Amino acid sequence: MCNLPVRVVCRANAEYMSPSGKVPFIHVGNQVVSELGPIVQFVKAKGHSLSDGLDEVQKAEMKAYMELVNNMLLTAELYLQWCDDVTVEEITHPRYGSPYPWPLNRILAYQKQWEIRRKMKAIGWAGKSLEQVLEDVDQCCQALSQRLGTQPYFFNKQPTELDALVFGHLFTILTTQLTTDELSEKVKNYGNLTAFCRRIEQQYFEGHDKDNSGTAAARSAKRSLLR
Amino acid sequence: MAAPMELSCWGGDWGLPSLHPESLTVMAYAKFSGAPLTVNTINNSWRTPKGDVPVLISEDTVISQPAKILNFLRKQKYNADYELSAKQGADTLAYIALLEEKLLPALLHTFWVEAENYCSVTKPWFASRIPFPLSLYLPGKMSREALNRILLTKGGPPLYSLTEVEAQIYRDAKECLNLLSKRLGTSQFFFGNTPTTLDAFVFGFLAPVYKVCFPRVQLQEHLKQLPNLCRFCDDILTCYFRLTVSDPALIISLQMDDNLRKSPQHPPRKLTTLKLAAGGEESSPLNRLSP
Repeated sequence: MCNLPVRVVCRANAEYMSPSGKVPFIHVGNQVVSELGPIVQFVKAKGHSLSDGLDEVQKAEMKAYMELVNNMLLTAELYLQWCDDVTVEEITHPRYGSPYPWPLNRILAYQKQWEIRRKMKAIGWAGKSLEQVLEDVDQCCQALSQRLGTQPYFFNKQPTELDALVFGHLFTILTTQLTTDELSEKVKNYGNLTAFCRRIEQQYFEGHDKDNSGTAAARSAKRSLLR
Repeated sequence: MAAPMELSCWGGDWGLPSLHPESLTVMAYAKFSGAPLTVNTINNSWRTPKGDVPVLISEDTVISQPAKILNFLRKQKYNADYELSAKQGADTLAYIALLEEKLLPALLHTFWVEAENYCSVTKPWFASRIPFPLSLYLPGKMSREALNRILLTKGGPPLYSLTEVEAQIYRDAKECLNLLSKRLGTSQFFFGNTPTTLDAFVFGFLAPVYKVCFPRVQLQEHLKQLPNLCRFCDDILTCYFRLTVSDPALIISLQMDDNLRKSPQHPPRKLTTLKLAAGGEESSPLNRLSP
């Protein structure tokens, strides 16, 4: 969205290369910056920002909505991936452990699962059932849908960090295959959100396919909403 | 049509109906929406409810978390958000998420983790309201849970030590207070002239920071530099909680303008903790920290 040239590379040890242990991170010259918040700050310091045109109240709103997405959608995604037994067995463990040989794949997967479950317990999500989590996702999507309304982006004509964040989460939810489709159904209930994702995908990702120098595996892993 | 509803929660002090942010949120919402609640503060008796506080008991249903309690009240037609538009409802959810992510860790830290605050204020206060021998165990458990929550949600790399995490969470909290202040602006409540769910949550989180007198008060200092938020808390206390109704001089002095509020002569409080309050108030306005 900022029109910055970027090359996407997939690596199995990405989490270890990152300074904060979390992906994604960017490697610019001799600097490494990880996670959305710091990356946005870094890019802003270099002179590119998407939210310069917003006034103070709108910036406050944008930050609040970004926290909502982090609080509800991200936690729900983690819950579904790591605390729902069926999904854990069939999808998460194999996927997380796939780059490693046995027994490392099982050990690392269990370690990550234990870590995430501890976190869920600390914030009070451990006692929630799957239905409650899906209801929370629905509430969050409803809020986003109402905020978006009929506008092309959340703050009318120009995309901002919030649009990027929401696109990231919703696109992943809509295109990842899970054991059930309940999560993506919740998002699909809101037509303007799916239209939003499609629009961003077409505008920012379709045109850049040719420039991507990823491997064949990466290219085949590219999913599209326009199935 | 209302079945009698009872709310069990932590009691209050320093001019507040409750010290616990979640209890305060529920109480404020009940006042805003006109729900008839009988409030039972937990005192030194064995009928302390186990598990989460606040707890709403209505006939046979027992409901424990603030969000669920508010939903229940709404279903009983006590709805403070009736006049909000869909977008304002969405904004409410977003701002509540902001409070929980950015302000709550610092609030928990000020109350339960900061050693001086915990030992001199929080632990004695809570211990005096929990029956022996639970009073030896429960405050410590609450403190450990608070620290755990802070470390698990905020304490990953690149923040490796507790001091770095503390610095980060206070920075976040101050930024959150600034954002709330900008959003409130000069209006009386967040969505016009009637209070809503968002006002209840903001009040629940801000009032303890604003009123409780701790030895280490950097968050309170910062809050006092945002006069519209202070005015917001005071307005709700005087209009909806009527705690100081027996002292007319106190009501007048609480409605004074901002200049006077920052002076050392803070309105006298007629509670027994006056000595502590007076000592704290005199020193805090004198060393103004920058945000």
